[in-house]
Amino acid sequence: MSVFLAVLWKDLLVEWRSRDRLAAMAVFALLVVVMFQFATPPGASPESRAHLPGLLWIAWLFAGILGLNRAFALELENDAWSGLALAPADRGWIYLGKAAASLAVLLAVQLLSGVAFALAFAVPLDAAAPGLAAVAGLGALGITALGTLFAAVAARTAYREAMLPLLLLPLLVPILLGAVRASAAVLADGTLPWPPLRLLLVTDAVFLIVSFLCFEYVLDE
Amino acid sequence: MSAIGSPRNDPRRAAPVPAPLAIEARGLAKRFGPVVALHPLDLAVARGRALAVLGPNGAGKTTLLRLLAGLARPSAGTLAVGGEAGSRRARRARVGLVSHATALYPALTARENLVFAARLHGVPDAGLRADALLARFELDAVAHRRAGAYSRGTAQRVAIARALVHEPEVVLLDEPFTGLDARAGALLEGIVRELAGRRTVVFTSHDLPRAAALADDGLLLVAGRGRPLDAAALRDADALARALAEAGA
Repeated sequence: MSVFLAVLWKDLLVEWRSRDRLAAMAVFALLVVVMFQFATPPGASPESRAHLPGLLWIAWLFAGILGLNRAFALELENDAWSGLALAPADRGWIYLGKAAASLAVLLAVQLLSGVAFALAFAVPLDAAAPGLAAVAGLGALGITALGTLFAAVAARTAYREAMLPLLLLPLLVPILLGAVRASAAVLADGTLPWPPLRLLLVTDAVFLIVSFLCFEYVLDE
Repeated sequence: MSAIGSPRNDPRRAAPVPAPLAIEARGLAKRFGPVVALHPLDLAVARGRALAVLGPNGAGKTTLLRLLAGLARPSAGTLAVGGEAGSRRARRARVGLVSHATALYPALTARENLVFAARLHGVPDAGLRADALLARFELDAVAHRRAGAYSRGTAQRVAIARALVHEPEVVLLDEPFTGLDARAGALLEGIVRELAGRRTVVFTSHDLPRAAALADDGLLLVAGRGRPLDAAALRDADALARALAEAGA
């Protein structure tokens, strides 16, 4: 547990000092929202606004991948990776620390871009906010749970920027399916339907457990 | 006998071992796919001794250190550190490693880097331990400056302090003198000399005079094959250079 807290503290402190991950992710997510706002005709019908949950998750997904690619870049500098790998603890706790830090940054980006999204598309957030926050959190957990494992795998490959989305996106389909459907229901009538929520919960749990167990081998040469 | 390259052919094999072994490897080997990085190697290092691992680039020195540290899985053989075979996790608790790079986070200060390393190793009172090491290595002046701004010599001293944060039985130093100016090199030499008196030290180096001055025992690695260096070769740098040349290093 102390290893988890140490890694989380270190990653958040480094991020607070540089803010490079947060800035890149936030700018990207805001740009996506702004571009889609430009592309949406004024006074669009409710049917034409059905794509909005998908748009929101495009912004969050790719912002998340952008951040995950940076998550292990700081470990490669000065070979800090070896320092982490030398910890005489279950390496799953290192994984959890890295994943929790990435999740915190992604949640901050979701909050920022979610507000921008509500303003840009005149979405009334008062009723939808709690439900959307829950779905956003569960979706972000799924993205960072599996993304942290694959970011560690991709970090030491020659084409890591391209490798991470290639590895990650096919396996994230259940998360995206559940997140987009649940977000659509929340934005439509403020309800949180159980089937997509269940899909998110189960997938998150599977990703977390598998990644926790596999991370031991990822840090090896 | 502290370093054994090929014990079956070594006439000193029957000699009594005067001190308990800090490192004992039997048939330790490492392959990366079809490439043999380290051929089966027998190695024994007594507690409190300093072993210099010498050889040209690509000889397998770093691979050997990473195996000893528990960072890589051996393809064959057995390895015991601190008298116990144990798991790789247990081995990681007994060793401190300073690799080519410093393993420091540039955005963190020296103190923060040391506190983080102490917490990773479960050291109680991580802050106090970090402060003690900063004082011991005369790093108080840079304790609260970010590591990205350090000179190579200062970064190397912090890296060694980081490797000692959990008081390991065995300290592994991978080419610690590379890139240091004369003053920083002399300072680091003093640190290694001080360490070698109290802990088992294994270091790799291309700096033959320093290796000759610091090591009690020597191991020559060429193309992944190891053999012990005799005491005469270790006593002076010229003899060491001749031994390396004869081995084709």
